[in-house]
Amino acid sequence: MSDRAGITRRGLFRGIGTAGLLAGCKPSERPPTTTDDPGGAAGPGAGEAALGPGPAPLAFTLNGEAKTVEVAPHVTLLAALREQLRVTGTKVVCDRGACGACTVLIDGVARNSCMTLAHDVAGAAVTTVEGLASGGKLSVLQQAFIRHDALQCGFCTSGMLMSCQGLLERSRGQKLAREDVEAAIAGNLCRCGTYPNVVAAVLDAAGGSA
Amino acid sequence: MPDDQRVTLKVGFAEQLRDIEVQLPAGEPKPWDARSELKVVGKPHPRVEAPLKVSGAAKYTHDIVPPNALWAAVLRSPHPCAVVESIDVAPAQSQPGVSAVLALVKPGERVIFAGQDIAAVAAKTPEQAEAALRAIAVGYKTEPFVVDTAAAMQDGAPLVHRGKVTERSTEGDEPGAGGSAGQRGNVRTSPSMKKGDAKKGLRMAKVSHEATYTTQVHTHSALETHSIVVQWDGPKQATVWCSTQGIFSVRDEFAEVFELKPADVHVHTDFLGGGFGAKFGASAPGSRMGFIAGELARKAGAPVRLLLDRKEEHLCTGNRPDSRQHVKIGASADGKLTAIHVVAHGSAGIGTGAGVGRNAFGIYSRCPNVLVESHDVFTHAGPGTAMRAPGHPQGAFALELAIDELAKKLKIDPLDLRLSHDEHPVRRHQFELGRKQFGWDAGRKQAAALRDKQARVRRGFGVAASIWGDFGRGKAVVATVSVLRDGSVEVKNGLQDIGGGITTVVAQVVAEVLQRPVEAVRVRLGDSELGPSVGSGGSVTTASVTPAVRAAAEGVKTQLTALAAKQLGRKPEEVTWSEGQARAGSKSIAWAELCKKIEGEAVVATGTRPETYGAYPVKFMGGNSYQIAGVQFAEVRVDTWTGVVGVERVLAVHDCGKVMNPLTARSQVQGGVILGTSYALTEQRVMDRVRGVMLNPNLETYKIAGARDVPREIDVVFTPVDTGANNTGAIGIGEPSTIPTAAAIACAVHDALGVAVRDLPLTPDRVLAALGAVPTRGGG
Repeated sequence: MSDRAGITRRGLFRGIGTAGLLAGCKPSERPPTTTDDPGGAAGPGAGEAALGPGPAPLAFTLNGEAKTVEVAPHVTLLAALREQLRVTGTKVVCDRGACGACTVLIDGVARNSCMTLAHDVAGAAVTTVEGLASGGKLSVLQQAFIRHDALQCGFCTSGMLMSCQGLLERSRGQKLAREDVEAAIAGNLCRCGTYPNVVAAVLDAAGGSA
Repeated sequence: MPDDQRVTLKVGFAEQLRDIEVQLPAGEPKPWDARSELKVVGKPHPRVEAPLKVSGAAKYTHDIVPPNALWAAVLRSPHPCAVVESIDVAPAQSQPGVSAVLALVKPGERVIFAGQDIAAVAAKTPEQAEAALRAIAVGYKTEPFVVDTAAAMQDGAPLVHRGKVTERSTEGDEPGAGGSAGQRGNVRTSPSMKKGDAKKGLRMAKVSHEATYTTQVHTHSALETHSIVVQWDGPKQATVWCSTQGIFSVRDEFAEVFELKPADVHVHTDFLGGGFGAKFGASAPGSRMGFIAGELARKAGAPVRLLLDRKEEHLCTGNRPDSRQHVKIGASADGKLTAIHVVAHGSAGIGTGAGVGRNAFGIYSRCPNVLVESHDVFTHAGPGTAMRAPGHPQGAFALELAIDELAKKLKIDPLDLRLSHDEHPVRRHQFELGRKQFGWDAGRKQAAALRDKQARVRRGFGVAASIWGDFGRGKAVVATVSVLRDGSVEVKNGLQDIGGGITTVVAQVVAEVLQRPVEAVRVRLGDSELGPSVGSGGSVTTASVTPAVRAAAEGVKTQLTALAAKQLGRKPEEVTWSEGQARAGSKSIAWAELCKKIEGEAVVATGTRPETYGAYPVKFMGGNSYQIAGVQFAEVRVDTWTGVVGVERVLAVHDCGKVMNPLTARSQVQGGVILGTSYALTEQRVMDRVRGVMLNPNLETYKIAGARDVPREIDVVFTPVDTGANNTGAIGIGEPSTIPTAAAIACAVHDALGVAVRDLPLTPDRVLAALGAVPTRGGG
């Protein structure tokens, strides 16, 4: 797992540093510096440039394809995918990290794209639900979802699939138990009540007992 | 067309089958009954639309972006009650990216819940729209308010409505519910349900029980928020995409609001991200979304997307009302119920519809005296609306737990007490079946042993029943089936795919009639131009749509039979079909060959569904439709030190007529159980009594059950019934599957503890309070 995938919205601010964030403010608007500033007082690190406030170029790989887009620094990966790139399989449900519907893989790790700034994925490989099938053939996991009826309205399904794909990638070769799948989808809410079928589908796809 | 026909149908369930005579309208295919041997219908089949849903290709309203579309945002009242003194939307107009601004209240108007529409803007980006809202200046004069149901009932409580109250009813409501029998203060009395003399019955009782049960406000929380996208195609024509359970309800309301012909409003709902009763019409129950999006689009001269955020979804799009039910129940010394009396008060906020369903009135029908008095209590909160079996989960919780508390006093097994008062033969069969399969008797003994030992971790076993009607609608659906010259089959209807599995079932019905593979049937739904259909609410979809689809498929088959007869040089009545081939005598013609002989592009037939013509063996009260039966058993594990309740197992035994697709039907029941579990254990809207606002309008503190919070095991058993209701034998399952869950869990907790927890949700503090381990907090 790369460090990049661990960056969160808050982490980005920390990385840019307070000075970087304040660079866009007029002097009179600067809040007083406090001693308990969790971000520390470091300026931009070596090789890091302050972005914004306007759109800035962002290059990353989306479902195996190189993408370059102009994205403002405040835009989340979720919004960039849906509204700028029009890749709409990833869904908005809570937009604050509580439901998992927007889960994507960043360098193979399942992440909430609503809690990730688009610029956090510079240089990274992002996989969305659209990237699971290859050559027009659904993946083993997608087929297992269909077989086990692990979807109803389908709105949580993209996020569920990506959390489960993340699990399959990090556990490759290991035997999975029901608890492993439940832990992997603990952050994915479903209102139709598909959880038991999702668990069965993942165990089946992983070659375990369903 | 032949005249009306009399046919004999084999109806019933399990071993209890019999022949009945049914009068069918002209042209109606003979219903599938217990004699029918079906090859496709009734067999598990994976969802035909699933590949779209697992690949991100399924398009929901959130995903629709017409060219140049703008984002709408709505300014909502921060106050639960206030008079608008001034409103100036002009400053928003000059904000960056803004194309249109709309005031939704006038000075002098009173807003009556926090979250009510105040003003709206349309801008290029969501950030610009939000920023522009902050430029709108509104002066409010705040007024006293009440958000607590019990407080709102008091004399002198701030009045929520000062004029006449209008009821908003939708296709999600239970037919026959609603109406008013007078209003005093914030309390509006609903018509009561009465049988015999309950007060006298209580006086005659030798053993009685009386207690108050409360339930919480439950929000629908569909994952796709209410959303609507409007594009004007001309001054009097519009295309609307809407996340709706009722395409035609959107069309009609939008047409009415903008004074258009319904036919000039084209509504699309390819898919919707969940609908549990709150998505009907162009508006949300507490927000004029259709008007806002339509008017902004008209003013801006560009399409507008109005997608609510999660907070708005909690505040103004409906909810399941709360309830306070005072139950009195009495019995003779030998355990014969003499009376059930329920006085219920519930708040649908500023709306109506807080009744508690038909459970107390209809299920334990051997009780001779029943009185159910319901009242809507108005509070300054967002309106309630139909939510999956409106009223019933609340009603089931109070009734079933009261029955268990009475059974304890009577020293009678609560399942026996139920069996001796329920006359529905299918439900009795389900109780008996569940008793064996669930291990009821051994489980109750185990629970009693743990109770006697004062074990820290207890087990408990509970059971509860469901009542709903087959509300399948006649003359509401027109389905079209076409067989094209290339042999392909297409079925069209303006129905929405809500996620219950209807798309697959429609394909199965056509495949059954035409003897084609399910995969060869292309199902086109989600578009108002594909023919009239019903809303997906009240468990009516499958029962309303599949008979019309079958009628259309049979119509096509009749035409193809005539064509085959011509090709084979025989009379149509000599033609038989098998394995997709038409045969007559020794000659046959394959499907592909036959279709090539079609003159013109296709053979097309439409089909409709007549009114329900059979209701065997039990009618739903006050109607001519079948009473759907279901029971659920729950086993819980309660830690008496922490108060945490976990659900170990649920056995759901249900009847949905002829099961069309066991795979998707099972999922739907499982979903009902999970929704009910979440309602029983964690979900509740929390209102701040001081500020009058919702404290948890999100998904981190409004607690929806996740994968680790649901029952460890959910078993679903269907007890198929042939009712003679319609030509496919389908009846609904959406509502029945969630009605008894919370009640069964609460009864199981009672069994585990030996004392009842009479307030939902069954949170640890309440469990500990019921055990006397901590003091009781204020009531729910």
